[in-house]
Amino acid sequence: MTLLRVENLSKHFGNLIAVDGVSMTVEPGELRAVIGPNGAGKTTFFNMISGFLTQTSGKIVFDNKDISNLLPARRVWRGIARTFQITEVFPELSVRENLRVAVEVAAGLRLSPWLSAARDRGIRARIDELLGMGGLAAKADRLVGEMSHGDQRACEIMMALALKPRLLLLDEPTAGMGDQETYDITQLIRRLHRDEKLTIVLIEHDMRVVFHLADRILVLAEGKMLAEGTPKEIAANEAVQAAYLGKVAA
Amino acid sequence: MTQVVLFNVFNGLIVGAFYALMALGLSLIMNLSGVINFAHGGFLAIGGYLAFTLMPYVGFWGGLVLAPILTAVLGLIVERVLVRRLYGRDPLYSLLLTFGLAFMFEDGTRFIWGAQSLPYQVPGWLLSPLSSDYFFLTGYRLFMVVIVALAVAGLFYILNRTRLGMRIRAGTLDLETVSVLGVNVRVLRNMNFGLGIYLAGLAGVLAVGQLGLQPTIGSSLIMPSFVAIIVGGLGSLPGTLLGGLLIGVASGVTTVFFPSATEAVMYVMMAAVLLVRPRGLLGEEGRF
Amino acid sequence: MGSNDLQKQAPNIVVWVLLLALPLWLPYVGGYMELGSRVVVLALAAMALNFLLGYTGVLSFGHAAYFGLGAYGAGMTIRYLVPSTGVGLLVGTLVGAVAGAIIGPMIIRLRGVYFAMVTIAFAQVFYFIAFRWNSVTGGDDGLTGWTRLPIHLGFTTIDILHNPVAFYFLVLAVFAVAVGVMAWLLRSPFGRTLIAIRENERRARFLGIPVDQHIWISWTISCAVVSVAGALYALLNNFVDPRALYWTQSGDFVIMAVLGGMRSFWGPLIGAAIFVVLQDYLSSQTENWMSFVGLFFVLVVMFFPRGILGIIRRKVAS
Repeated sequence: MTLLRVENLSKHFGNLIAVDGVSMTVEPGELRAVIGPNGAGKTTFFNMISGFLTQTSGKIVFDNKDISNLLPARRVWRGIARTFQITEVFPELSVRENLRVAVEVAAGLRLSPWLSAARDRGIRARIDELLGMGGLAAKADRLVGEMSHGDQRACEIMMALALKPRLLLLDEPTAGMGDQETYDITQLIRRLHRDEKLTIVLIEHDMRVVFHLADRILVLAEGKMLAEGTPKEIAANEAVQAAYLGKVAA
Repeated sequence: MTQVVLFNVFNGLIVGAFYALMALGLSLIMNLSGVINFAHGGFLAIGGYLAFTLMPYVGFWGGLVLAPILTAVLGLIVERVLVRRLYGRDPLYSLLLTFGLAFMFEDGTRFIWGAQSLPYQVPGWLLSPLSSDYFFLTGYRLFMVVIVALAVAGLFYILNRTRLGMRIRAGTLDLETVSVLGVNVRVLRNMNFGLGIYLAGLAGVLAVGQLGLQPTIGSSLIMPSFVAIIVGGLGSLPGTLLGGLLIGVASGVTTVFFPSATEAVMYVMMAAVLLVRPRGLLGEEGRF
Repeated sequence: MGSNDLQKQAPNIVVWVLLLALPLWLPYVGGYMELGSRVVVLALAAMALNFLLGYTGVLSFGHAAYFGLGAYGAGMTIRYLVPSTGVGLLVGTLVGAVAGAIIGPMIIRLRGVYFAMVTIAFAQVFYFIAFRWNSVTGGDDGLTGWTRLPIHLGFTTIDILHNPVAFYFLVLAVFAVAVGVMAWLLRSPFGRTLIAIRENERRARFLGIPVDQHIWISWTISCAVVSVAGALYALLNNFVDPRALYWTQSGDFVIMAVLGGMRSFWGPLIGAAIFVVLQDYLSSQTENWMSFVGLFFVLVVMFFPRGILGIIRRKVAS
């Protein structure tokens, strides 16, 4: 059964066509990478799936329901969580407090004016579990705004995970990171995929990461779908090579 | 009846022209620098009082030319000394700053020129009615409309045809890129602030001819200017112009039928616009 | 209670002891009881504003409207409907809260300076109504012909009209309830969503928080509490006039919050105390007190943008 089906999705900004009729299906448990040269429309494509932007035309079906016109928060409630290219966290709160917001919202407590002691224990336990999973336990009480880029990204991913999503969208999770941080984040994503059986779609520039992680790859170029297939098929695809090399040559 | 309605429509148009002139200056500053200039009304009052003080020496026409320029110079100084330091900070701070300045300007004009309203002499030939049927159509009123029209035309000419204006418009859309392209953003914001204050000063000189000189003239005109911007569309200068004229005419017409709601009607319009079209009549999507 | 808890509670204890003992120490520093009540009332208004400004990250420059609605609601209830202080307080609060709740949906989609501007403009509507509707509100002369009334509790009567200390404790009791509710909310899961919105609206939205709805609730709570303050203000003066609704009053609330420290729960209380005392002093010394208040705004923005408690906290941290 397909989890996410994107049909003929397009986005126009005035005269500029950022995404032009892209389709994609994602199966449960899959790790899908979306790649393409700069300006290929990857982030715009992502933003439409998460509801950050509204599509000009096309349709997004999640779990057999049309979510094309739902507000972002409602898509989150249905099980789509995301991270951003530029890490979005709550900088003046500690890691623990960041996660607490996410865990409480996931527990349906967002409007609750109180919290019973029993409930609070459950929430604390869940926060500790997420801290452990993200390798953040030792830094739990530090302000997120004062942490390294890699730790901030890990915190952001764990916040998304706190929502118990059925689909996790990661927009360039290793952008702007050093080798060690890239490795750590890659390992984290791999663990989430393997151990938690999480369905993940990610945009990535770093080809080592993409070919290391992805089950299938979608290649975009100039807003259009260029190719789709397993990492092996993509590596051998001449059109893809031309698109990348063309960009480099130019 | 027709005459009464016409009178009030015309009156509304004049008032609307003031609102628009003031609101255009506010909009310019807000769009480029993200500052709501609460002291705009204070600058307007200073423009009016300066014209009053200068008139014995340079005459009515000299005052009309000089007072707005002097007001603009004051604006340049205020921007340079105070407002500039707050760019890039939470808009809260520039709001509080200009709020404090508004107090100081109002009280300052009261201190210098006194609390009583002062008469402002307009050349006699401008005051006589042009037609006996339409008694309200005095030369001065027509003159004001012409001056406002010229000022607005001049503003749009500057914005569309001069290098400064094009830089201002580009900066409004994307300040970072403009600065990367080698434009001195500090100077640009300074000039833009001065331009906005010039319009306030000009509105001041014209307004006192119609309404008389009072220290509170600025604070009574600033709220309608806000409404003009909201109705016309945040971020759109043509929208601001349209908004000013619209609320002026609406107030004028309301005066005929329901005088006690004269001030309230523009707020009702604002509420309606916000409900139906939150970005305002000519506002661009996603800019509020 | 561990020493850590004690440290956390210390500011609360200090504030409450000072407020409860105010009638004992205020005369020695040259204050009078009415000034004390005034500080507490305006502090409540500034803290209500700060619930929105400091803890939700939304800048309202129009809170005078709801303050004034609370004031007129209380005054008009006592004047025209029920001669009871308690009913007046209740009606005043409801009027302000309902007005806030209705206006909310029109403004919550706006952000930053635009939100500020629209709240200012809306506030002006109520000012004009109070100003123009002479026959009911008393127009520019204000609503007179009524006073707060002694509170009958069955077994005893508290004469808050003639005994300023008794009135002060009524104000303080209402203050305690309102402030307590806000503090409690801020420590709840709902309160944490507000702080999340302040910290990063985009992240909050993509955690599944419908941001506009939460801002609307926060706005309405803030309006309700500021109208409590407004109702108390009317009782304090036995009088209401349109200046309570004027935009300059909104600015006063904002400067109180900023001066004391927006990120601190008690900051606005300190800001209100300084501002009220300063204004009281200036207006007795010079006719041009407005210039000095304006100058004070400029100085605060230029030199104390973090507020007094913000500075202290920074000093302690370093």
